[in-house]
Amino acid sequence: MVTPEISWIAILPELLLALGAAAVLLVEVQWKPRTLVLGALAGGSVLLAAGFSVIQWIQAGDAAGAGDPSELIVFSGLVVMDGLAVFARFALLAVTGLGLLAGWRYIEGLGRRGAETIALVLLATAGFSIMVASNNLVMMFLGLEVGSIALYVLAGMSRERARSDEAAIKYFLLGSFASALFVYGVALIYAGTGEFEIIAIRDFLSSFVVLSPAVILIGLGLVIVGLGFKVSAAPFHSWAPDVYQGAPAGLVGYMAAMAKIAGFVAMVRILLTGLEAFESRWLPVVAGIAALSMLVGSILALVQDDVRRMLAYSGVAHAGFIMTGVVGGTTEGVLFYLAVYALQLVAAFAVVAAVSGPANSESGLDAYRGLSRRSPVLGASFAVLLFGMAGLPLTSGFIAKFGVFAQAWSSGFEWLVVLAVVASVVAFAFYLRIIVYMYMDEGDAGGIEVPAPVGWVLAVAVGTTILWGILPGSLLDLAANALPL
Amino acid sequence: MLTWLVLLPVIGALVVLMIPGRRKELHLPLGIALSILPLALALYVFTVFEPVAGYQMTELQPWYEPWGISWSLGLDGISMPMVLLTTILVPIALAASTSIAHRAREFVIFTLLLEAGMIGVFVSLDLFLFFVFFEAILVPMYFIIGIWGSDRRVYAAMKFFLYTAFGSALMLAGIIALAITHGQQFGEVSFALSDLMRLELGTGAERWLFAAFALAFAIKVPLFPLHTWLPDAHTEAPTAGSILLAGVMLKLGTYGLLRFNLSLFPEASVDAVWIMGALAVIGIVYGAVVAIVQPDLKKLVAYSSVSHLGFIVLGTFALTSGGLQGAVIQNVNHGLTTGALFLLVGMLYERRHTKQISEFGGLQKVMPIYAGFFLFMIFASIGLPGLNGFVGEFLILIGSYATLPALAIIAASGVILAAIYLLWAYERVFTGVPEKEENKVLSDLSVREISLLAPLAGLVILLGLYPNILLDKIAPSTEAVLDHIEATTDYRVPEPGRLGDVFVAEEG
Repeated sequence: MVTPEISWIAILPELLLALGAAAVLLVEVQWKPRTLVLGALAGGSVLLAAGFSVIQWIQAGDAAGAGDPSELIVFSGLVVMDGLAVFARFALLAVTGLGLLAGWRYIEGLGRRGAETIALVLLATAGFSIMVASNNLVMMFLGLEVGSIALYVLAGMSRERARSDEAAIKYFLLGSFASALFVYGVALIYAGTGEFEIIAIRDFLSSFVVLSPAVILIGLGLVIVGLGFKVSAAPFHSWAPDVYQGAPAGLVGYMAAMAKIAGFVAMVRILLTGLEAFESRWLPVVAGIAALSMLVGSILALVQDDVRRMLAYSGVAHAGFIMTGVVGGTTEGVLFYLAVYALQLVAAFAVVAAVSGPANSESGLDAYRGLSRRSPVLGASFAVLLFGMAGLPLTSGFIAKFGVFAQAWSSGFEWLVVLAVVASVVAFAFYLRIIVYMYMDEGDAGGIEVPAPVGWVLAVAVGTTILWGILPGSLLDLAANALPL
Repeated sequence: MLTWLVLLPVIGALVVLMIPGRRKELHLPLGIALSILPLALALYVFTVFEPVAGYQMTELQPWYEPWGISWSLGLDGISMPMVLLTTILVPIALAASTSIAHRAREFVIFTLLLEAGMIGVFVSLDLFLFFVFFEAILVPMYFIIGIWGSDRRVYAAMKFFLYTAFGSALMLAGIIALAITHGQQFGEVSFALSDLMRLELGTGAERWLFAAFALAFAIKVPLFPLHTWLPDAHTEAPTAGSILLAGVMLKLGTYGLLRFNLSLFPEASVDAVWIMGALAVIGIVYGAVVAIVQPDLKKLVAYSSVSHLGFIVLGTFALTSGGLQGAVIQNVNHGLTTGALFLLVGMLYERRHTKQISEFGGLQKVMPIYAGFFLFMIFASIGLPGLNGFVGEFLILIGSYATLPALAIIAASGVILAAIYLLWAYERVFTGVPEKEENKVLSDLSVREISLLAPLAGLVILLGLYPNILLDKIAPSTEAVLDHIEATTDYRVPEPGRLGDVFVAEEG
């Protein structure tokens, strides 16, 4: 056993987030400051983490350019600092910053528990951030659990509300079950290959012929199911609507977006890198899950009368679309999709929180009647976000869909693309339904005031939705360089 | 220059957005004034447009190079008339919307954005860009029908959106397939129309792709049996929406068939002439027969569109000079006359708040000027010689007789049926003596209303008497389409189907 090499720069962003979480809790105990001070602490650690990620991004680019990427694998192979990890972390940090802003009114309203909420958010981000940068399946599991457990608690943050408790319990039980499946799968893959490190697994499988791959295949299946649960792909999605509905509106967007980003990046790492030799085995499975998710998500979203449940099912459909990109074998398309969808999701729930109150768990469509009159800003922003999620041209959502569809088509999954475009049209129907309520129905309820932090979230999300819809190159170039090792 | 043509309405929309909401009286006049700018530019484009084949005023900017998409614009004799028509109809549609008091600012903004999108569709030479515009225009139209329509507006708006989005979704898959095939055959992915025309697709793939594109455009036209969204959308839409829907948006379908299906899939197009022609002719007769029995004046005009658009599709798939030229010019003609008819119906609706034919009678006595314009547009629509409809329908019938004689003969009955449903409707609404009290006090057209109709009437006469003002500029481009088909397939246009052959030379 050699002494593990320590590379602080590699985990500095996560350290900063964890330190930020600790600082928030300590400062709260010691000085009991206004929540704004704690928010500034959290924001500071997020910004610092992002700043150091920029350095990592440059390093990753240099190493890839120099043709010697092995130096990016640090901590004796536990952590990898490649473009994929850094890009994903940027997305996670952006979602964290926006998520804190979107949930700010809720956090303030919690009083003393506000500090816990902020700390949990930072811890969740740290966990998922490690998860996307793991080269080792055990490390990945640890990151997944740190992040997930923080999310379970966040889901139950409004503990005086029965729905919130229900959401937390449901999320916790099903989530732990999925984590267990994941770790069991990891164990089986280890049993079959003798390796935990993703790159080592790839090298092993490419240099040896596995005569009886059953153990690895079962492990692979379990890993797919575990991650499928985390990203709420059908048929592992049943928790999503209840959790989306019960958890505090201000935080749901953050929770959902984090799980999606981390889950899919892990999936890309394991499937496209580690087990690429078994591509012919997992491609049909992932394609099937993608197809099912798109259909189930789009069709079930049609019959929802609650905007949060609708967004939950639309999230299932989006999981299917993103998986179409995984099937296409493109990290670029998946990353672009994840980034734009995550921002839209956070902002959409910021709107939900503004319309129905930050802690309320009821967000029936009726509450959106005449929203375009009651608050033109909210109405127009939500409309742009919905069009973006629907994937209409001139929004980033269209570019994202187009990217994954084109990749899947050129990989020979024409049937999946045809199904995906049809599912997109079905999805139009329920996004438009919300627009009908907002624009074509006259609500008599009074005006809605938009809290300033929500306004900033909307500005960022709507701005990028349109910007990346018209000039996608600015983000696509980055995503194209965010390659896994 | 073409970029400006697309951007001017967008800038106009932004300007209107800047005007505060409380200055209600400014929004519509400003919108009309701003919509004159693209019209002026389009007229300039028309005057400098050279009557030669190929694209003019082209612009090319890479959009995102790794994907092979570009901001590629250009105009030829097929798209130029459509751009002109769009820019003519938008100011008229806006000026006809003075009755919209409710959320006028948003209305003007959506209309101008719609205009930008429609122009964009016609000038795009890159299939990705084309699709972006083609799909994006659904949004403003969706809002125009859904917010300012009549009772069942939400249903109609949804139906309109979903129907057309479904068609274009499969076309998107087709576009992806074409671009990737280009990548396989030429080493790089490209969405440029000129690049994709060089592809060797193979019969099976070409037929599938033809079907995917044709479905999208057939829904838009709409071709029988995909037309059911149209009467709903038309009846529920506000007048401006109907004018632009019938005047321009339906033409996106016929334009798409002519521009993309014929050029990209010549082999499959030649194989499909009978199917497409037959569907077109069914549409002609079906639309006309259904129009006869409509109790609602607006629905009657809507079904007449189904019938008239059938002619255009028939002309397109006749694959002769006359057919193609007729199709292009009939696009313009139908936009003018049907736009005017919807405008007229809208004016009547503003006065009486009903569109039921049975509610009227004897209007000739109380509204003579109105009746005069109505009858004039009916004659134009029927295709009375000397008016524009005659030129287009005659060219199409001559052109299609050369290749699809049986269909041409049946289609000719559509002309007679049009006379039946339009004149019968005229008889019921206008002739006799006014019996209902409400009808006796209706006011005739105001100067403002006349000034909206007069330009359309003028164009109807101009194109009827001197169609060469457009045909000269159309012909080289339609000939180029036929040249391309003859060069890539075994198909030869039979005599006397080409320009220069006896028949068409005299007409064209």
